[in-house]
Amino acid sequence: MLEVKNLHVKLAEEDRTILNGLTLDVKAGEVHAIMGPNGSGKSTLSYVLAGREGYEVTGGEVKFRGEDLLAMEPDQRAAKGLFLAFQYPIEIPGVATMQFLKVALNAQRKARGEKELTTPEFMRLVKDRASKLDIPQDMLKRAVNVGFSGGEKKRAEILQMAVLEPSLCILDETDSGLDIDALRVVADGVNALRSPERAMVVITHYQRLLDYIVPDYVHVLSQGRIVKSGGKELALELEAKGYAEFAKEAA
Amino acid sequence: MNIAVNKTPAELAYDGMLLPHPRLEDWKWTNLRVLIDRPYPPRLKVEAQTKDVERLLKRDPLAKIAHARIVFVNGVFDKASSNLPAGGAVRVTPHLAPLAAADEPVLEMNKAFADDGVHVEITSNIDAPVELVHVATDAEARTIATRHKITVADGAAATLFETHLGEGDYLTNSVIDVALGAGAKLDRVKLEIESREAIHLAHARITLGANAVLRDFTLTSGARVNRQNGTIAFTGEKADAKIAGSYLLSGRQHADTRLLVDHQMPKCTSREVFKCVMDERARGIFQGKVVVQRDAQKTDGKQSSHGLLLSETAEFDAKPELEIYADDVVCGHGATSGDIDHNHLFYLRSRGVPEAEAKSMLIVAFVAEAFETIGHEGVRDQLTHFAEQWLVSHKDAAP
Repeated sequence: MLEVKNLHVKLAEEDRTILNGLTLDVKAGEVHAIMGPNGSGKSTLSYVLAGREGYEVTGGEVKFRGEDLLAMEPDQRAAKGLFLAFQYPIEIPGVATMQFLKVALNAQRKARGEKELTTPEFMRLVKDRASKLDIPQDMLKRAVNVGFSGGEKKRAEILQMAVLEPSLCILDETDSGLDIDALRVVADGVNALRSPERAMVVITHYQRLLDYIVPDYVHVLSQGRIVKSGGKELALELEAKGYAEFAKEAA
Repeated sequence: MNIAVNKTPAELAYDGMLLPHPRLEDWKWTNLRVLIDRPYPPRLKVEAQTKDVERLLKRDPLAKIAHARIVFVNGVFDKASSNLPAGGAVRVTPHLAPLAAADEPVLEMNKAFADDGVHVEITSNIDAPVELVHVATDAEARTIATRHKITVADGAAATLFETHLGEGDYLTNSVIDVALGAGAKLDRVKLEIESREAIHLAHARITLGANAVLRDFTLTSGARVNRQNGTIAFTGEKADAKIAGSYLLSGRQHADTRLLVDHQMPKCTSREVFKCVMDERARGIFQGKVVVQRDAQKTDGKQSSHGLLLSETAEFDAKPELEIYADDVVCGHGATSGDIDHNHLFYLRSRGVPEAEAKSMLIVAFVAEAFETIGHEGVRDQLTHFAEQWLVSHKDAAP
């Protein structure tokens, strides 16, 4: 599904290397957790995969479903099945949530050569997904993320994911800013989307989220590369020892 | 008022009438002596083909919404394509009352050259919108001047559209005088979608009686050069005016709005909201002045103008002015200019929305605050659709 090989990335405007030889292989049906301290390059990885500007790839390659991901525009990546749940979802005043989601879904379907959904078909789909995530209808009537609480923003991200049905979900610090009840709702939403055809990359600072979204593999990211990989028990080990200790040991 | 200089070819075609010199403060951003770069002789009679008129009338986005249409073709009232309002609530009569001497170039030009116009009298409430349509057909470059008068009787309410569109090279000079009686209400929507070769010069003079309510919106998108003057005067207490506008400009289009809101009486409210979008090398200008006279206590006047620049070569200039002679007032103004928020754009694109469509969504979101002034929902939808299509349509049209 996703093959990252020896990826080197620097900031476009600054001479600062963020990713320094990162390699990752994610297959369909797998859930990978990437853990690391602040500044280890977690968010950069998610942004580079989604195609945000401001980064320069200086080496390595990324293949997504067999194609060169880095050559695609952000909207092409989305149509191909990549979805990034943002750590800080963007507020867009004046753009209605429902209209935005409908345009996005139909643009993706069009790009894939599928039939676009009619408004009633779309409304049914969103209502179904929203009820499973405890999202009230009035939230959908507001502008994209505007006036949403931290928890609502994260739930709205998962709703978008559930509607767009991507094949690769990248969750960037989805647990940040959530209390335990909200975390459970979000995790249930994510778990409901687990399937043999879909892969997930869960980026997190804390082990807590992984109690709810149990990964198949855990990777430790430090100074722009993966320094250790293992099963889900690695997360607990990491939590007990702390990142500093761990980075030393790995180096 | 004009500064003596050698006459330009356009001025010679105007029997030597002088165009405003850019050293005049109001005209410093719009140098008509340079922008009107060829002669536009006045009073040129042009015969229009029916099929051309029909084609142009169909292009008007408001065509299906207006119940009554008063059509001017090349500056002359065209009874055949008009659909005059039925019933007694609206009276339409020819209007060419002499224009009093006015120390303003657009008015002076109109006084000299306007050949036709109507007086639309609204005597009671009407639900059905009335449209004044101005169509110019493709012919020799010329000046087309019209002058209209709108009166809304005390307590009456109406929705009025004013549309300007055409083909080929011409110069429109449009003057409209609007008087709202006590407690009258008017929703006015002006749509400037002239030919891309055209020049559009306009002056609207609006007075509001006591407790009158005005909602005024202008969309400016067609002409290569546009200059619109507006004067809004409160002549009675407790009147309320919202004046909004949007530009959607590309190429080398130039649009300049000069608005004067004159609070002469106490307890009136004015809001100005201009949301202007400029792409490529287009230039948008907004000059808004709010005057609060000595007697106009308890005035509430606010003005805002915002530019959205879609390219590094686009430009937006704003000159907000407040002139306050009363001491118990609330007035303010704000002006900003910036480009598209790249975080917004990335977020939309990361969900699969292609770049042009994502930009169009953000353009519509940007202008929404001005479009909200349009009271008629059907018109708001039509013009929102126009704004949605605008970016893609001008990119497609570019060579």
